Amino acid sequence: MLCCSVNFLFLCFFLQNNTPESIQPISMQTFTSMMNEILNPSTPKSTVSSIFKTLIHSLLHSPESHHSQILKLIADLSSHHPSLAQLALDSLQSMLPQLTDPPSQLTIEYLDALVNISERPVEVDDSLFTSICLAASFPVRLWMVRNSGCRVMVRPELLYPVLMGMTKEPYPCLREEALEALVRLGECAVFEEVSLVKGCYERGVQLLSDNEDCVRISAVRVLYVFQVALWGLMLASFNVDTKTYWSNEVFAMLCSVVRDMNMKVRVEVFNGLGKMEIVSKELLMQSLSKRVLVLDQSPTEQFVLLASNVAGALVHGVEDEFFEVRKSVCQSLRTLTVLSVEFAHAALNLLMDVLNDYKVEVRFQALETMHHMAINHCLELQENYMHKFLDVLEDNSSEVRFSARKIVRLMKLRNHLLFKSTMDVLLKNLDSYPQDEADIFSVLSHLGRNHKQFVDLIANEIADEVEASFEGNREFNSARMAALLVLSISAPFLNADVCPIPPVIFSFAATFLSRICCAFSDVMNRDTLLEYLIQKSSSMVQPEVNISNGEGQNPLAKDDVQNVAGNEMIHSEITINNGEGQLPLSKYNVQNVALEMKPPNDVGQHKRPVHDSVVLTYINYILVKLPNIWPKVQSCSANEVLCSLRHWKEELTSLTFDSSAPADASAFALLYLKIIKLVVEVWDHLVRKTEVVSGTVELEDKLEKLDGRAKELMNRFIGFSAEEEISVLELILLTYTLRLCRSEICSRNFIFKRMTIIYLRTESFLKLRSDVASGFVAELGSLIRESSNGGASCSSLAFDNCLKLFSPKRLMIREGIRHRRAELSIPNNCPDYPLPFAPGLTASIPCDITIHNISSNCRAWVRMCINDGFTQHVYLDLQSFEVSGEVRKISYAVPYYRTPELDSFNLKVCIGLESLFENVTPVQAHGGPKCELVLLCEEKIVYLSRVL
Amino acid sequence: MAIETLVLGAGQEVGKSCVVVNINGKRIMFDCGMHMGVSDHRRYPNFSLISPTGDFDTALSCIIITHLYCINTLFLRFHYFLIIKISHSLILYSYIFFFGIICDSHLDHLGALVYFTEVCGFHGPIYMTYPTKALAPLMLEDYRKVLVERRGEEEQFNSDHIAECMKKVIAVDLRQTIQVDKDLQIRAYYAGHFTLFEYLTLILKVLGAAMFHAKVGDSEMVYTGDYNMTPDRHLGAAQIDRLRLDLLITESTYGTTIRDSKYAREREFLDAVHKCVSAGGKVLIPTFGLGRAQELCILMDDYWERMNLKVPIYFSAGLTKQANVYYKMLINWTSQKIKDSYPTNNAFDFKNVCKYERSVLDTPGPCVLFASPGMISGGLSLEVFKRWAPFENTLVALPGYCLPGTVGHVLMSKPPKIELDPNTKIDVRCQVHQLAFSPHTDSKGIMDLIKFLSPKHVILVHGEKPKMVSLKEKIHSEMGIPCYHPANNETVSVPSTVYVKAQASDAFMERCLKPNFKLHKCSSQELSIKTLTDKNIVPELQVINEKAVFIVEDKSKKLKVVHNDEVLVMLGEKKTED
Repeated sequence: MLCCSVNFLFLCFFLQNNTPESIQPISMQTFTSMMNEILNPSTPKSTVSSIFKTLIHSLLHSPESHHSQILKLIADLSSHHPSLAQLALDSLQSMLPQLTDPPSQLTIEYLDALVNISERPVEVDDSLFTSICLAASFPVRLWMVRNSGCRVMVRPELLYPVLMGMTKEPYPCLREEALEALVRLGECAVFEEVSLVKGCYERGVQLLSDNEDCVRISAVRVLYVFQVALWGLMLASFNVDTKTYWSNEVFAMLCSVVRDMNMKVRVEVFNGLGKMEIVSKELLMQSLSKRVLVLDQSPTEQFVLLASNVAGALVHGVEDEFFEVRKSVCQSLRTLTVLSVEFAHAALNLLMDVLNDYKVEVRFQALETMHHMAINHCLELQENYMHKFLDVLEDNSSEVRFSARKIVRLMKLRNHLLFKSTMDVLLKNLDSYPQDEADIFSVLSHLGRNHKQFVDLIANEIADEVEASFEGNREFNSARMAALLVLSISAPFLNADVCPIPPVIFSFAATFLSRICCAFSDVMNRDTLLEYLIQKSSSMVQPEVNISNGEGQNPLAKDDVQNVAGNEMIHSEITINNGEGQLPLSKYNVQNVALEMKPPNDVGQHKRPVHDSVVLTYINYILVKLPNIWPKVQSCSANEVLCSLRHWKEELTSLTFDSSAPADASAFALLYLKIIKLVVEVWDHLVRKTEVVSGTVELEDKLEKLDGRAKELMNRFIGFSAEEEISVLELILLTYTLRLCRSEICSRNFIFKRMTIIYLRTESFLKLRSDVASGFVAELGSLIRESSNGGASCSSLAFDNCLKLFSPKRLMIREGIRHRRAELSIPNNCPDYPLPFAPGLTASIPCDITIHNISSNCRAWVRMCINDGFTQHVYLDLQSFEVSGEVRKISYAVPYYRTPELDSFNLKVCIGLESLFENVTPVQAHGGPKCELVLLCEEKIVYLSRVL
Repeated sequence: MAIETLVLGAGQEVGKSCVVVNINGKRIMFDCGMHMGVSDHRRYPNFSLISPTGDFDTALSCIIITHLYCINTLFLRFHYFLIIKISHSLILYSYIFFFGIICDSHLDHLGALVYFTEVCGFHGPIYMTYPTKALAPLMLEDYRKVLVERRGEEEQFNSDHIAECMKKVIAVDLRQTIQVDKDLQIRAYYAGHFTLFEYLTLILKVLGAAMFHAKVGDSEMVYTGDYNMTPDRHLGAAQIDRLRLDLLITESTYGTTIRDSKYAREREFLDAVHKCVSAGGKVLIPTFGLGRAQELCILMDDYWERMNLKVPIYFSAGLTKQANVYYKMLINWTSQKIKDSYPTNNAFDFKNVCKYERSVLDTPGPCVLFASPGMISGGLSLEVFKRWAPFENTLVALPGYCLPGTVGHVLMSKPPKIELDPNTKIDVRCQVHQLAFSPHTDSKGIMDLIKFLSPKHVILVHGEKPKMVSLKEKIHSEMGIPCYHPANNETVSVPSTVYVKAQASDAFMERCLKPNFKLHKCSSQELSIKTLTDKNIVPELQVINEKAVFIVEDKSKKLKVVHNDEVLVMLGEKKTED
């Protein structure tokens, strides 16, 4: 205490006497006491600021040898007293220019202090940057290269050439840091010119043979980062072949260094291989064989050149001495297996070998990769692999076991024997690892749900064993009993049919309720499980009662319904019974909904009529799931999400209807899902700028498709409630924003204009309902208001930021939605019976047209296209249609004027509606539609043949 | 200047490795092996080619032994006595056969060393790795005994000679740089290959093969000896730095073979064993003491651990404490796996392996037994085989090749009955599983090493001529590196790198410290043109590589390196002089 106060007194004395006029160098002791005062939170502000002033003054007047200590103190002071940080920054920045000629260690110390004080990257002007980079002193250059692009901001145009020059430095660590800085530059995707990216890539290739390990590691990184950048750039300007060619080159280049003697280089190489987006199938197969493959068809020139480089690359990786490398190989297989199904099958052989690895990490990674393959539908475990795979279930590492069981959950076993052996292994597992009980039960419940037909086969066997045990005729193994019960009760679960499982089993199962309820936690809670068991066992009394008639209480209660739909791996078909309206249907309560297990190929074949309101409820509980899956999209689990979406789509398409209302709602939901699916598919590419979902997707195509679908959603449905309308508009805004992230400047203005229209519409809707705009819409609004001259002035980055705010609204549709559609038929026309025409004269095409939900004030057209691209439109006068409710019918001979001088020709006919929403640009002025047409039906082909 | 390589042994043949390399006046002998197939003077390399006068001390700077590769002959005698009980004709045959094969190819790196140092009289230093030095005297002594006592040949050298020779040996560690003399510098790199050594009950598998890098002045070369590029469970892959080599001398034993991954074979082996024991059967694995057995043991111990198997594994030969001591000493020569697990538990202290006792043979229930000798040529393995072979649930796993004349060899054809002698016939109902393996590198490994090192020239040794020719073609066509495959006693001369000394000017030195590029600022006019074409990113500053360096000869005929700025000044001066 005494010491402290002495210090303080000393300091006060120093501060008072040390006026700018009579400056004295600061002694070590003063430094220490200043430090004490700075660190002490109770130091008065005035003291701190006078310390600060003194420090700044002494920077100007004390010898250079003291500067580093003073700077350190200033940095500490700023971090403890943020109010002074800005002042410190300003003062240091003002001193900097005096120190730059020539740049020395001191300059760097100043810059370092600046960077430490500032929370954001410090901007450095060009002349300072170049003078430092060309400085004679090696540490000075190193500091600058190391910090450029992260803590120090330099213009990329300047940074790039300097870094490229630096990669030829004689000092290895400078070369390494320069490459790392290039990687940072590449990751920000600032390059918009192919030649720059290529230059960088080529330098990376050169340095792959550098003598220093650290440089080679960075060179590998440059290679794959720039491969991604290059690919992104080429996407806009080159065709698929060029892209594949380049990707193959990079793949082979990386493969050629897999035998590097440095472990870290090898790990980096495999990390890079895991980032490939397109690789030709032949090269992938070659990487699994050490011998050069003899192909069936004549190999491409590129394959011949690259084959020996690629040969056995992955095999070498798996054989590697270091587990880090082996693990990295397994990781890279995750992405590579998605690229080709054939390769995935071959690579599985390699992965099966890895399951024998002595390192837990490697085995675990191999299983995770297999799980990833299973999600992507490219895992095919043949019988000879099953044996090995089942062994893994008994692994002594719990992570490995859990991971293996994760795969079992997704399995579709081909035959009864495999099912039996899987079941046996799981039961054995229960004995050897009682601690895994909960997980094993859950796997068994999935196994039962996925293989109802096999459970049925052994149902009696199980029943006998369980009964014998319960009656004391056998040794009672409670874990085994519980497991068997889980398996049995899971098979008829969600299944409306009468099953061969004796009802007494359900009673037995009820006695294990607390133990087995976790196995079903993904679909129902404890209470509902009990209800379900009671209901099923009650049929013991009246075995002829068919629960599916809606008389029993269905176990699926409110909260669990959503979960059922989330259980995406069950290939199920919705079968909804008529139920005769006896049961009250609340919004989420799908009491009559039952999901029946079917093998996947049966899906869609057995369509049954379903009750309207049930359908609507069902559609709604699919739609309400959407907001929940969004975080997964953002956290790059797109694959999982796509799987769920695909599954829901399948379910929706399998529905058939009595009346039009649910069909309309279902059509809407289906289209909505399709749009979401497309959004998810392009999301990774545009927003996350990382891995693509599938190797060969054409982003542009998808965006095009998305655009079309959005238009359809906007124009083909009417009768939205305000809430629905806003959801739809928001989704459409999203599709435009996605486009804007991607588009070239020229098309940007156009899209921006359209987006502005939709935005204004959304805004007015929100105002009407006095709702608050979502974060996404609000951000977009401010962006639209800011940009005065159309979209060109906004950077794609700004749109990126908007997208990050997006999440789908919780949407619930009502019955009001109407689907605008048309049915067109041309009677008596097929290739064998063409319609007659005489060249040059008008031909008449008899059409039976039925249109739904289109009011008479809409403008509908018949569009007729001939193969040479000529299109003719004929206006449909809706007034002349026969009206019955929302359906209008007419039989009308449509004239076709421009009959060609041919013996026969085909005409593509369809009905279109003028889209009134986005009449930004008139499409056709001469007698045709004034706005873009939205097609209401599929195109029909009309066959015409010349008469004489 | 040139590097001259005189091949004294292993030129277009396998065995008797001996290569003398003359780099910038320094002569180094790599390996000093002998050929056991012949008994006359051709057995040793023709040392007279090194120095016709026999003054080897001035002719050679040093000898480097990359490794020893030997299955000790004593174990053959051990077999000899066991086999004799079965059939008299069989032993004679296998004795000669074994002797011919094994010694022929396994003393090929240092067999002639004692003869050369003690009989021919070389007194210079000999370098070898620690493991090699530890085991060389045992092996040489053993070999001498066989030669003299069994074959009854004339004694070439005696025990004292071996001891004397060993005194001249200097042991080196991996990556240790040794300055042999003022100019010559050598360094050993891990080669991954191993040697097999058994000495009665002390049974060891010894590691210690190295690649040697030699540097004289500006010329550098690497001699590989035998190496392995694919790691196995207890030995790592070869490791070397990227060097600027003028010459690489590499072995080419498997110059045309490409080996598939052995993981698949291991998987099959484990599956077969697991299937057998889970059905309650017994597994017999006949092995040569340790050697290959050790690798299998690591493999199975891991598997047992992972699968929580409780079936006992017995080891008849037993890992003696002494063997463990050796391993601890030589831990640096093993694979990453063994190094990883060493601090927690010695990978050679197998958890699931129990000591063999005779009672095991008749104990019911499943078990796995490693029994020596391999190939079921006698001893315990034959005894166990006789008992277990008639049962269908027994599995006999043969790890490796079986020589003709052994039960193992007969068993591979899966006969219903095996006739050991006229009185002993065994019903064979057991299952048989074979597992193949080899420690040499394959052609892909050779190519990968060459690609990694990218030397200026390659010389192939230790391989059969047709394989060498095909490998040579491949190296030449795929990598464009000149490649040679000299026969014995031929000399190949390749040019070596020589750096010329030159004085550097101060200005040049100053420039060297700075980055060797300059930024050229585009003029505003240029810039405006470019802005029109592309307003995105055009570097306003362009990098001009400033490497221009001039070498001038000054008046005293000395070379001088100057910077290009200076050249202009010098030229200007010259002009004024004129």
